[in-house]
Amino acid sequence: MIEVKKLNVHIGDNHILKDVDLLFPERSITCIVGPSGCGKSTLLRTLNRLIDSTEGVRIDGQVLVDGEDIIDSQSDITELRRRIGLVSQRPCPLPMSIYDNVAYGCRINRMFKKRRELVVHVRQCLRAVGLLDEIKGRMHTPASRLSIGQQQRLCLARSLAVHPDYILADEATSALDPISSKTVEDLFVSLKDRYSIIMVTHTLRQALRIADNVVFMYLGEIIETGPASQVFNNPQKELTQKYLSGAFS
Amino acid sequence: MNVRTLKDRTAKGLMLTMTVVAILTVVAIAVGLYLKSRPVLDSQSLSSLLFGSQWRPLKGQFGFLPFLMGTVWVTLLAIAFALPISLFTAIYITEYARPMVKRFVFPVLDILAALPSVVYGVWGILVVVPWISNHVAPHYVDFSTGYTVLAAGIVLGIMVLPLLVSLFIEVFSSVPAELREASLSLGATRWQTALRVVLRRSLSGILASSVLAVSRAMGETIAVLMVCGCVVGLPHGLLDACYPIPALIANNYGEMLSIPLYESALMFAALILFVVVLIFNLLSRIVLYRIEKQNE
Repeated sequence: MIEVKKLNVHIGDNHILKDVDLLFPERSITCIVGPSGCGKSTLLRTLNRLIDSTEGVRIDGQVLVDGEDIIDSQSDITELRRRIGLVSQRPCPLPMSIYDNVAYGCRINRMFKKRRELVVHVRQCLRAVGLLDEIKGRMHTPASRLSIGQQQRLCLARSLAVHPDYILADEATSALDPISSKTVEDLFVSLKDRYSIIMVTHTLRQALRIADNVVFMYLGEIIETGPASQVFNNPQKELTQKYLSGAFS
Repeated sequence: MNVRTLKDRTAKGLMLTMTVVAILTVVAIAVGLYLKSRPVLDSQSLSSLLFGSQWRPLKGQFGFLPFLMGTVWVTLLAIAFALPISLFTAIYITEYARPMVKRFVFPVLDILAALPSVVYGVWGILVVVPWISNHVAPHYVDFSTGYTVLAAGIVLGIMVLPLLVSLFIEVFSSVPAELREASLSLGATRWQTALRVVLRRSLSGILASSVLAVSRAMGETIAVLMVCGCVVGLPHGLLDACYPIPALIANNYGEMLSIPLYESALMFAALILFVVVLIFNLLSRIVLYRIEKQNE
């Protein structure tokens, strides 16, 4: 379980996240929604500490992943990142073959001793995202030759390959065509039994379709959070009502 | 036709003219060198010019092999010296260094790149040559002045270093941040990311930069001339003196031109340099094209 306590993130003089308190339930899809620039992506990037590479960043507060505070400088950041997979906005295959893209994380983390085991695992991961049949015979061709939708599924397979507990998705379908977008969306739904998925989306309809829980953010603050049905059908805060009614976006 | 269109067309015509002039200059140099080399080319066969090692201008014998080998030795040594250092420096600056370090390093690199080559030459004479003569050479040979292939290679390597580092920083910086994040988010360390993703993605850029550095190193004259020893003869090791082609031309052009064919021979030396750099660039273009094709 991921728990965020009194999280404040500053980048330079800008106070991006303000006193964020959150609990991400396990084995479900939590969608973070809110207007552009409200800090959704910053929150997501704090959860796996990719925010560290941002110039002038300062983090206060706690992010507890299964009880361990990852903001603490003593935590093993590479192991943390292995446990928290990331699917970014634009598909980003590594400059290598389809096979090597999926095998990359396994090799880095020395997950298999025998090559045969790795091959079997890579095939399983590709099958899990529905790519295995589509790329038959092209396993060792550059990943960049896949279509954008296929590339995004490959990125998901690559994340799954290192056995993460959580998957972060940063507007993972926004660069895709409607059909690919639907495929990826369905994949997330099928994966929620095994993984805790935290998804940033700017499409309310998408959140409505797949979210179990919703977090609504505005100007760096958490305005409302709860089960999707409650937030969408019976929002408690006026700001949430306005956002859902399309008063601002 | 209105004024804006007229200005646009004039600008286009002007720029086209300048482009053509720039390209024609290169062609003119090649043709000029060839015409000037004709006399020596007519007097001796091409193979004896290129692969002969007898250099007796008074007897009309012009074998360029010692000079060719001098150029090759010094250039290879310089690149072998500069390549790993510049790669690691650029990786450190782009992947590890804090912004403050970057702000300090960039101006230093610019200063190093802008230093006149004669300064490097003087530094070579004052520091590198005595160091080789007193501390390196005694372990391997009875006597060495220090004016050697090694001295020229080190000085030249340090000269191309800022160029290579700047180019590599450009190349690595152009790798999308998302790629690094993709690798990091799988549990890779920054070193693993640099090695397996950034370097891999930058392969064509590294190659192109290295070619540029080699071309620059091959043509570098003054600094090399000051520390290479300028002794005609095939170098057999790093502690032999050498005589690269640019040094030959710079040292002798304008002097001893009363010797028949001597000017023509020097022009032929320049032509060799021109052709070698040209071939090298063409080959690298082919390799680059192949790499890009492979990554598509």
